[in-house]
Amino acid sequence: MSTTAVLDRTRLRGPRALPRVAPALLLTVLALLGPLLAPHPADQPVTAPYAPPGDGAPLGGDQLGRDVLSRLLHGGSALIGSALAVAVVVTALATLLGCLAALSPALGRVIEAVADVAILLPPVLGIMLLSLAWPGGGRPAVTVAAIALGTPYAVRIVAGAAAPLAASGFVEAAAAGGERLFHLALREILPHLRATVLALFGLRFVEAVYVISMAGFLQLGPQPPTADWALMIRENASGILLDPWSVVAPALAIGLLAISVNLAADTVAPKAGRRSGPRAGRGAGRGAERRAVSRR
Amino acid sequence: MAGAVSAPPDDRTARPGPTRGTGAGRAAARIGMLLGKRVLMLAVLLAVVFAAVQLLPGDAASATSERGEGAAGVAARRHLLGLNRPLWERFQQWMTGLPTGDLGTSARGQKVTDLLAAPFPNTLLLGGAAFVLTMAAALVLGCWAAARPGGRLDRAIGLGSTATFALPEFIVAVGLLLVLSLWTGWLPAVTLTDGGGAPADWTMLVMPVLALAVPQTGWNTRIVRAALADQERTPHVAAAHLDGLPRRQVLLRHALPGALPTIAIGAATSTGMLLGGAVVVETLFNYPGIGTVLAGALADRDTPVIAGVVACAGAAVSLVLFLADLIRYRTLGDRS
Amino acid sequence: MDLNRRQLLCMSGGLGAAALLSGCGGGPGADSDGGGPDGPPRKGGTLRVGALGRASAITRDPHGTQGNESDYLIIALVHDTLTAPGRKDNTAGRLATSWQASEDLRTWRFRLAEGATFHDGTPVTAEDAVWSLRRLRNTPAGAARLPGIQAHRITAEGKDTVVLVSDRPNAELPLLTRLTTFVLKKDTPEKELAQAPGTGPFRLDRYRGGNARLVRNDHWHGGGIHLDAIEVTMFESPQAMANAMLAGQIDLASNAGAVAARTAAGRQDIQVLRRPNDMAMPIVMRAADGPFADPKVREAVKLIVDREAMVKQVLSGYGTVANDILGTGDPDYAKAVPQRHRDLARARRLLGEARFDLSRTYELITTEDIAGLAESATLFAAQAREAGLKIKVTKQESGTFYARTWLKGDLYTNYWGTNDSVVFFASKTMTTGAGQNEAGWSDPQFDAACAKVLGTADAARRRSALRALQQIEHDRSGYLLWGMADGIDLAARKVRNLPKLPGYGRVQLEHVWLAR
Repeated sequence: MSTTAVLDRTRLRGPRALPRVAPALLLTVLALLGPLLAPHPADQPVTAPYAPPGDGAPLGGDQLGRDVLSRLLHGGSALIGSALAVAVVVTALATLLGCLAALSPALGRVIEAVADVAILLPPVLGIMLLSLAWPGGGRPAVTVAAIALGTPYAVRIVAGAAAPLAASGFVEAAAAGGERLFHLALREILPHLRATVLALFGLRFVEAVYVISMAGFLQLGPQPPTADWALMIRENASGILLDPWSVVAPALAIGLLAISVNLAADTVAPKAGRRSGPRAGRGAGRGAERRAVSRR
Repeated sequence: MAGAVSAPPDDRTARPGPTRGTGAGRAAARIGMLLGKRVLMLAVLLAVVFAAVQLLPGDAASATSERGEGAAGVAARRHLLGLNRPLWERFQQWMTGLPTGDLGTSARGQKVTDLLAAPFPNTLLLGGAAFVLTMAAALVLGCWAAARPGGRLDRAIGLGSTATFALPEFIVAVGLLLVLSLWTGWLPAVTLTDGGGAPADWTMLVMPVLALAVPQTGWNTRIVRAALADQERTPHVAAAHLDGLPRRQVLLRHALPGALPTIAIGAATSTGMLLGGAVVVETLFNYPGIGTVLAGALADRDTPVIAGVVACAGAAVSLVLFLADLIRYRTLGDRS
Repeated sequence: MDLNRRQLLCMSGGLGAAALLSGCGGGPGADSDGGGPDGPPRKGGTLRVGALGRASAITRDPHGTQGNESDYLIIALVHDTLTAPGRKDNTAGRLATSWQASEDLRTWRFRLAEGATFHDGTPVTAEDAVWSLRRLRNTPAGAARLPGIQAHRITAEGKDTVVLVSDRPNAELPLLTRLTTFVLKKDTPEKELAQAPGTGPFRLDRYRGGNARLVRNDHWHGGGIHLDAIEVTMFESPQAMANAMLAGQIDLASNAGAVAARTAAGRQDIQVLRRPNDMAMPIVMRAADGPFADPKVREAVKLIVDREAMVKQVLSGYGTVANDILGTGDPDYAKAVPQRHRDLARARRLLGEARFDLSRTYELITTEDIAGLAESATLFAAQAREAGLKIKVTKQESGTFYARTWLKGDLYTNYWGTNDSVVFFASKTMTTGAGQNEAGWSDPQFDAACAKVLGTADAARRRSALRALQQIEHDRSGYLLWGMADGIDLAARKVRNLPKLPGYGRVQLEHVWLAR
């Protein structure tokens, strides 16, 4: 679903956007197909611990002498998969709740308050708390935590974008016509929020990569012997001088993923701050401000 | 903003503010309300955190039990730690102790305040230095980029900030460690403490601060740039341009003040991110901050310590948010 | 282990001459090399030591559970134990310089060092030692630390003799007084434990958050201290400690691990010290009940593990292959018992005979308490799959592990840091009903063998009894001991006369000196 949405948008933007979106797509595809390309199993030692590159292990060995390249190829799909899942769920939840909040001032106030409280909890502390509340939860626990932490802000963004629509004549007319809240949200407001939702999805994906890899590094998510980029960095940190690739390769992978996805999201998203559109009239700075609080 | 259009372009006090047509008492009441709101939000967060940690399976008495300690010993420790008292009673005791600086007692029987007394100032030093660096860099880069919208520099800064803001801090830290210390030997790889428990040498702060500041600078540069762009479209800035004032003067004296509330909120978000990132970066550099205390407390399910760290972090973020409120109030007046 | 001639003299001959006294137990300085290859020791200088520890686990109580190496190091330099691990004998004197047993091997008398004083100048008395030992015995883990010795049967005799009476004959009782019998002043209040004056070679100058500065105690009864001061820095992770060592921020990285050793191998300015038989990381299989209760199953699992690969991959080769007998550093370790090798065919046959359910996945519980432990579990699981045995590795936090898994689990990893005595493990972890019987193993023949060892005064007969005990342990116990990790310290070139002992002997830094 996500990929087609991104592609759809790319076509709208013309050929100039393609170079900025292509790296993210390429990396995602590579990570998802990685396990098929790996020369060795991810859990079998093939060389000495932290052996330098060579001898069947192009990027050397990890802490147990397993092939760094094979683990690198195995270690991205789950990270990207759960980040995508988080982005999809948060975006969907936020879109639904945001539309409803725009139509119902009471719900809107509750969501504002929740977001105000949630901003006080740094994401790393939040993910630690939630992972602990679900001991041994591994990756699912982190995924749920990332959803819980990301949703309040996302709802705020959609509600902000939906508010002018909710106040517009055609929605008011539909409401007067007796349509129920839920239908109003789905039928009258949602179709006009495509740009906002797409931008939100991109930003959520970027943030999910951040949160999930952070949790992986803190060993709150996937557990050994799972191959996972963030976990690889943590596990192999002691061998950084013996085989730098055991740390540098997964670090580069996460870094490239974060950067490429971010550039892609930035390209396909409308420039919320710079083309505030309908919101500009309501007070300058709101667009950028919404971005300012949307990070989690 | 309508009032601002006719205002003399270089007279900032004429823009809506707390002094315009309002008594000092009203302003104080308004500020009090803002403060009250932030304190209430903090209290709610602490209640949620306390409840969440209490509902975790397993408790501190068994997590910190010694080798060879039987069930009776664990029961005795539960009693000692007050874990057998009702949840509500413990929560009440904890919350009423907070304003007096009493964060309770850890699972190992130490005062949480004592546990955090030495490391927390170090984390504040680390976070504070990173905060100052990131805000200064973001303001300079953001204004620089906004000086020529769409120019080569604007695009380069935009690309750079977009590229860096999503980087997890530990990735930056690993890169810095490898390049600046282990390969070149320019900077000390880990932080050692002096007799007072603080970092022994300022050079030890360089890499942890940079690791925290780089992603946040990317983020805040985007905020500054976007907020300035929004301001460019406001009538009073447009008017200033029409008056033929130099770009730099319009940017710094007209657009930037109006952008400050947004930038302040971005800074408040950064505070949380910096504190969270510090937890991770500290372990990589052996930095003597709360990150190390927190990691151990999580393993021990040491509720009071975790809650204490969250309370400290929440208070720091609340403080910056309150300052953001004040900036917003000063800029926008009662309509904030 | 056995008593050597000097100790036998002490035991049987009484305390006739001062010359004999000073020879008994080796004395505190007996394990040092004196000058070493680089001429006479140089006095002065500060040694900067790195040791592992977690801020949240800091323990200042000398009789508490020191989860942090850094805490134990500081405590062991400030306070003296009655005896200490020794190189020539397993038990060397420390605050007690000699000891002797009664005929029935139940009553042991320890004589305190002459002229020993606390750091504030007050002389050490037997009353102080009795108070400290009783306090140790009354801690939650006290019964496991001083097994068979009731608190009220620790008494003073005169000003300088401590008497310990055991419930059963125990020829190896001094072994129990080596690690945690720190002597404090009688009636030291709980609140002042952290700052309480000790009798050790160094005084506490300052302490903050796990880091400490210790200065030389010029009046130490053992004498021969060359350093002015020792600065202990606590490190949360071995990586951070190794990085500090490589960057020259510390002079000694205590127990830095194999990877750090390999990293430092090419460095001219860093010496790598290997202390063999330092750490045991056995896999424990529950013998009392559950899937591994059948001895055939346990033997099969012991045949599945590829010991050479474990040592090579988990320990980077910095270790030795072991033979399922704990206490590999014992002078009387049974080298004659044939080494067990990987034999998958035989393992499958044994599993078949025992009707072991190979369709199930078994959980192997591990912790990250020491470097390599979780890795050993991971690699073993991969090896077991080759024999059709499905194992899933589950990591537990240290606290959870000791509360839920230790002594109870079906299959888990554990570790032991002092491995110089077979009988120490046999009596504490393998006899029926022993407080730390990790596998729930109960074997009448083994119990009899152990009782025989502990109740025999004659050295030769004890040695043959010990050999029989080790054969039973090798054949049937719940321990799979695949290898022994070397203890690895990194030190700057100028650091001389470092401890060579494995296990807790590594904290004996009192005779270190710094060359120019």
